[in-house]
Amino acid sequence: MFLAHILQAHPEALPLNPIARWEWVFPIVESIHICGFTLLVGSIVILDLRLLGICLRSQPISRIAKELSPWIWTGIALQLITGPYLFSGDPREYVQIAAFRNKMLFFALALIFHFTAIRVATRPSADSAPLGWRRPAALVSLGLWFCVLLAGLWIGNL
Amino acid sequence: MSFMRFCEWLSQTQFSHHLREAPYPFPVLIIIHIIAIALFGGMVVMGNLRVLGRALRSVPVSQVIGQFRPWKWTAFGIVLVSGTLLAASDPMEYGSNIMFWISNALLLVAGANALIFRFGAYRSVAEWDNVAEAPPAARRWAGVSLFLWIVLIFAGRAIAFF
Repeated sequence: MFLAHILQAHPEALPLNPIARWEWVFPIVESIHICGFTLLVGSIVILDLRLLGICLRSQPISRIAKELSPWIWTGIALQLITGPYLFSGDPREYVQIAAFRNKMLFFALALIFHFTAIRVATRPSADSAPLGWRRPAALVSLGLWFCVLLAGLWIGNL
Repeated sequence: MSFMRFCEWLSQTQFSHHLREAPYPFPVLIIIHIIAIALFGGMVVMGNLRVLGRALRSVPVSQVIGQFRPWKWTAFGIVLVSGTLLAASDPMEYGSNIMFWISNALLLVAGANALIFRFGAYRSVAEWDNVAEAPPAARRWAGVSLFLWIVLIFAGRAIAFF
């Protein structure tokens, strides 16, 4: 982790970081983090329910994916901005928490899965084909994002 | 005062004591509560964005709102049950927590706003079902709903801060 290295190399900079300095900064940034996750859950669940053939069956998959994509990106961007900043408040503590490391692992896996398997599953050329393997792929996607949320919530419980 | 007395009585029951002191109930309940909030809120937000013409523009509004309704209400039921149990785990703490009451008030306002839409602007959905952007009254509702949800997330998170 690039950020962790910088922050650990300069412990004297930590007290200058607003999130380590004032206790109210953390819940505010975390609230933005939760807003981003809510957006991500909403758009991913809709896409996965379509891939499972449960909802919006009369709509072509590729078009649903295309029209959700800006919101999935917005959600990911919010997480990538607020997440590392939350982390920066106490990097040494976070790297030692197993739930945090698991969350990062699941987040990486969920992103990789989204931009490989789900991307292939939502190609326009596959629109008229039967759902087939795309059903289990949607379940894997739902499972991975669920694990990200679960591990994230567990960080606060420890 | 009598309400706080009720809280005091509730907090002394075995049930409340168990929720508060046993190692598993609280973390498990809070995880269920927040996952259900993410599901419910995510669906509401996507419905709002559709009405605003910002997401799923080619999908009829009634499909986005109608087909996800059972999921939304299931999640909401879980939010209510888990939320009630969480509140019962420490009634003295939550009963006197200002952010807890603000969150509940915001939830009521959001609910009223949803009813106003459902039995107001949404009744004519057939006329604007396939239009990318809904009429102004519906868009206003969606904007208010989106705003309320963002405030609700901040207020809900703040319960633990106060």
